Order: sequence, then C-alpha cells, then structure tokens
Amino acid sequence: MPPAWRHRRFPPPLASLLLWAVVACAGALGLAATRLQQLHAAFETDARIVHRLLSQRVVQHDAIMATLALLQPGAAAGDAASAAPLPRLPSVYPQILAVLQRTGQDPWPVPLQAELSAAEATSRRTGHAAMAALDLPAGRYHLVLAGTPASYALQIDLRATIPAEEWPMDRDRSLVRVTLEHGGKAFVVQPGRAGDDAGASRLRSYDFHKQLAAASQPLEVVALRSVGLSELPWWGMLGWCVLTAGLWAAGHALWRQRAARQRAEELLRLGQVARLNTLGELAAGMAHELNQPLTALLSSTQAAQRLLADDPPDLGTAQTALARAVDQARRASAVVGRLRRLVERPDLGGQVQPLPLPAVVQDALRLLQPDLAQHGVAVEVDAAVPDLPPVLAEPVALQQILHNLLTNALQALEQMPSAERRLRIGLSLPDAAHVALSVRDDGPGIPPEARQRLFEPFFTTRRGGLGLGLTLCESLAQAMGAHLALAPEAPGSQGRGAEFVLTLPTAPAAPAATSLTTPTRP
Amino acid sequence: MTDTAAPSLSPLIHLVDDDAAVRDSLGLLIGTVGLRVQTWADPQSFLAGFDRASIGAIVLDVRMPGTSGLTVLEQLLAQGVDQPVILLTGHGTVEMCRRAFKAGAAEFLEKPVDDEVLIEALQNAVRQHVRSRERHQADQQARERYAQLSAREREVLGLIVEGLTNKEIGRALELSPRTVETHRANLFGKLGAESLAQLIRRYAALVDSVPGA
Repeated sequence: MPPAWRHRRFPPPLASLLLWAVVACAGALGLAATRLQQLHAAFETDARIVHRLLSQRVVQHDAIMATLALLQPGAAAGDAASAAPLPRLPSVYPQILAVLQRTGQDPWPVPLQAELSAAEATSRRTGHAAMAALDLPAGRYHLVLAGTPASYALQIDLRATIPAEEWPMDRDRSLVRVTLEHGGKAFVVQPGRAGDDAGASRLRSYDFHKQLAAASQPLEVVALRSVGLSELPWWGMLGWCVLTAGLWAAGHALWRQRAARQRAEELLRLGQVARLNTLGELAAGMAHELNQPLTALLSSTQAAQRLLADDPPDLGTAQTALARAVDQARRASAVVGRLRRLVERPDLGGQVQPLPLPAVVQDALRLLQPDLAQHGVAVEVDAAVPDLPPVLAEPVALQQILHNLLTNALQALEQMPSAERRLRIGLSLPDAAHVALSVRDDGPGIPPEARQRLFEPFFTTRRGGLGLGLTLCESLAQAMGAHLALAPEAPGSQGRGAEFVLTLPTAPAAPAATSLTTPTRP
Repeated sequence: MTDTAAPSLSPLIHLVDDDAAVRDSLGLLIGTVGLRVQTWADPQSFLAGFDRASIGAIVLDVRMPGTSGLTVLEQLLAQGVDQPVILLTGHGTVEMCRRAFKAGAAEFLEKPVDDEVLIEALQNAVRQHVRSRERHQADQQARERYAQLSAREREVLGLIVEGLTNKEIGRALELSPRTVETHRANLFGKLGAESLAQLIRRYAALVDSVPGA
C-alpha cells in the first residue's frame, strides 16, 4: 500500500512568492504608467493654453498698429493733432514701451535707422507689420508697419505681454520651461524648475513647439518638461506592494493551517494503521514463541506414550520425556506471561493531570469535523453543570478514548437516514468526585446478546472490525483511574441508539477553594 | 557406491531446528519407531557436516535465525542431495507452502505436529529414498555391464530389444544366424540376464540413451 501521506508535504512557497512578485511589479508599473500619462496630458494642456494666451496678446499688437494706420494724420491736420494719441498708448498697454512715427521723407531715429527701414520695406512688401531690432534675451523688439504718409513702429516689451492672471501654471515653481524662440535666440517666459533630479534620473521628456498665431511676429512657443524618478507615485506603488504582500501572507497562512490539519488527520490514520501492523507482528511472534514449547511438549508426551506402550515399557526414557514435557509446559506459560507484560500498558496513573473536559471534547470534535460534516451528523454538546471542575486524566489516552467513542458513534449513524444522524455529548457531575462524559448516538443500537460481550477482545458487530477498539478504551480508562461503561438502554428507545459513559475522577481543587467550589450531595 | 547398500544400518533422520527442546523431544519421538536421529542446531553446521550418502530423510524447521529452512532446502536441491526433505513450520502460509513444494519438499507439516503424522511422513520418505537409491544402484550396475559389451554385441542387443528374431538380426547385420546366436549368448552372459524379459527391462533404456550403438 503506497503511503498516501508522503505525497503531501509543505513545498517551499517559491511559486506563490514569484506570483506575488509578478502581481506586485505589474501593479506598480501600472501605477507609474498612469502617473506618466497624467503628467503628459497636463503638460500638453498647459502648453496649448500658453500658446493661446501668448498668441492672443501678440495679435493685439497687430490690431494696435492697424488702428494707428487708420488714424493717419490727414494732410490738413498737421503734426500737433496727429501726435496726440501716440504718447498715451504706453500708459494703456504696458507692454508698449514707445511709439515711433516717421512721416514722408523723415528718417527713423538714428540708433535703429537701418533696421527699422529694412522692416518697413518688408512691411510694405508683405502688407502686414514686421519685426525689427529683435532682442529676444531681453524680451524687446520693434514692430514696424509701413504706411502712407506715416509709418509706425512700436517698441514692445515681451515681459509685460505675459498675462499673469490667466497663466495656467505657477511661474516660479512650475517644472515646465516655456520660451519664445526665433532665429536661435530665446526669451524665457517661464524658467521651469529643473527639479532635484535633472540629468541621470530623468525618466521622460515632453516638448511642445508651435508658432504664435500672428503672421507679423513669427515667434515659436517652446515648452519643455522633464519627469524625474522622484515624480513617480512611490507611496502608491509601495502601498500596492504592501497590500499584495499582506494578501499573500494571509493566503499562505491559511494554506499552511489547512495543510497542517490534513497532516494531523493523516498522522492519526497512520497511527491506526501502525497499530494494526503492530498487532499483526505481535500475533506472528506470539504464534512462534508458543509453537516451539507446544511442539516439544506434544512430541515429548507422545514419545512417552509410545515408550510406555512398548513391551516391556521403557520406563526410564518415558520419565525423561515426561520431565521434558513439564519443562516445556512451564516454558509456554512463561511465554504467555512475558507477552502479557509486553502488551500491558504502562500505568497511566502517574501521568494524569488536570484537564478541562469541554476543551478536550472540542479538540476531539475538531479533529473529526470533516467526517461529521461529510455525513451530515448534527452534534450537540450538553453541559448540565456550567462550571465543570477539571478532570484527572492522561491527555493522549483521554483523546484516544474520546476519538474511538466518537468514531464508533459516527459509524453507527452512517446506517441511518441522513436526517436522523444526531450525536449527543453530555457532560455531568454524578457526584462530587467524578465527572461523567457520555457519547450517545441515535444509530441502530446494540443487540441485547452483544451488550454483554461488547468489551471482550476480538468481539465485534462490524464486518471487518477488529474488535479491539472498546477493549483498548476500557483498559486505557482503567489505567488512569477512569471507568468506561455502556449505559443501560433508555426506556422507550426500542433498542435504538447507544450511549457510552466515561466516568473520570475530578482533579482536587486548590485547598483554599475546595470548600467553596465542591458541590455537596447527600 | 556400494557402501550405501549396508542393510544392517537402520535409516538415519537428520533433524535441523534451532530450539534444543524441540530437537530433543522430536528426536526422542522419532527414536521410538526405531529410526536413528542426528540433530543439528543450525543450518550451517548441518550443510557442512551431514552424511550425504546416508539413507533416510531430512527434517527442517522453516523459521530459524540466519538461514530459513526454505533457503536450506533450495541449497540442498542445488547440491543434488537426494534425501527427501520434510519442512516444519509454526504458521505456514499458502505462499510458503507453494515455494516449499516447488523447491522439492516431500512434506510440509505444521507445528506442533502429531506423532502419527510425523512418523508416517518420515516412513514414507525413508521408503521413497530407499527405493530411489536401489533404482540408482541398479542403473549404475547395468551401465557398468553394458560398457563391457563389444560394438557388435551392442548392435545385436539393440535389435533384440526391438523385438527381432535371430534370423531377422542376421539379415539386418548380414551375419549368419549362428553367429548371431553366439553374440546373443555372450551378451546374455556379460549382462547377467537370465531371461529375455529381464534383459529388455534392464537395458532397453540404456540402448536408447547411449550413443554410438
């Protein structure tokens, strides 16, 4: 018979650990990817808003220039009238530092004469304003619109162009760098904090390039953003790992618990098989040990018979043969005595200890729980006395007796319809010095002729039963000063059901408490 | 081979059992019917010391420390020992019994054994052994006598055994009936046969088995 218990071991939890690692990593990566996506989307949105705001502002410059062109001083108006609105512009539009006007053949002011003239030429050619004297690092440039008779130039300060109230980001703290670029030069609109982890730990870079929506001022809006490792949702990732680790640990613990329980059950079964094997060995040994002297005894007496039947009888040899027979009879008896001592249980009296009976009962029931559940047996534990004193017993022997009684009851109940499978365990105090534990089943009961012989060795009512279970229980009970008996048939039960009562001595209470807790009975 | 034929000696039973009390009582019991008993306490000393030429039987206990009786039986068989073997066992299983008879045991008895059963088994075994020894001895003698025949005499013997008359033998071997008659007389004398029937019974098997005839 292959030992089934060998196949179930505790494998190292490598596989499940690996699974946990995969789940944890996948979750963490997912969280990181989501965060990166969010950051990218936010960057794109901000960059578009910035582009729109700046475009609106520079388009305004074109509108101002167009207005100036419309307000061309008429030939009749004269210089004084035409010059009037010009100085007021910078006070209305802070980004306009100065307004220049050139009329007829007058040249542009000296320092910028050439550039303004070139821009005016461009403007005249394209029909819209043109930039001149572009100084992007400083954020300054001129916008020139050619007109007749007067051409205008506005000196613009980009710094004042930025609409601070509507700006979508915190310009000092934002990680996004925004610049306006043209011809390799750049005006820094928003410096963008480089972050603590610029360089090696940079994870991603986002960028955005788009020209301002104003043909006269072809400046490119450039937004840059790099994402560092420190921006990943580390706490969330860590939390996820911890959560899954917790789940793994809980699952593992549960599995271990179940495996340990299975193992305990298997060990119990194994113990039963081992006991049967031992019994077989014992029987074989006993047969041999007894056969030898019996063989010698039989042969000697038969030899003596033959010698005495001879004519004349050989009395001397016959006597020797009979003396030998006597010796062998003694030897056989000694073998029996030795075997008895061998199988005798050590006196359990010295190993008893106070035990709480209800807890022992719960232990035994827990061990049998799978069988009870499988056969649909309803168990009732009925404690007549609320504060049962502890009993004196040897724990293993008590457990074994209880297990045997419960197993017997369970087997009796298997023959009943499943609705009637009830098992009652009663705990009571028959007198001050004893606690009675009764196990009652509603099975088919014990036939009257079997009731007398129930505790005899090798007597069994079950097919294939060994007939030693109750014998063993009884001798175990006796060895620890307890008593096991079959309860008399309950009146009206009509032979159904069986009840076994194990009477155990109570443990002597602590001296001070004795008078208080020991109930007295007449 | 002639020493075993001493008829004055009664048969000898070899009894192998590790238990002294069993040895002594069985020995005593066997002795009461006039059989001689030699006891051995262990298989090794028995295998080393017993007289293979003796007439009788061997009684082996199955359960002995060291070598089991069944193993001893198989060793005896392998060594060509011809004494019948009776096995004794405390509790015999079918498997053990099967193995014993396969290995050539004459009997398989359970302990404790009743005197009549044991003695009958022993007497049967001894009778069987005596017969087999006698047969063996007669065979041996016949072989020796057959070896003395000349080639021509063997040819003639072969044809006699086949049931041919002198005349037919003469025709078959291209001899005159008279010469055949001479060979016939010679081989009857050499083989010590007193009648044709005796001749055929003793030598027919030899004619068939010895080549070169």
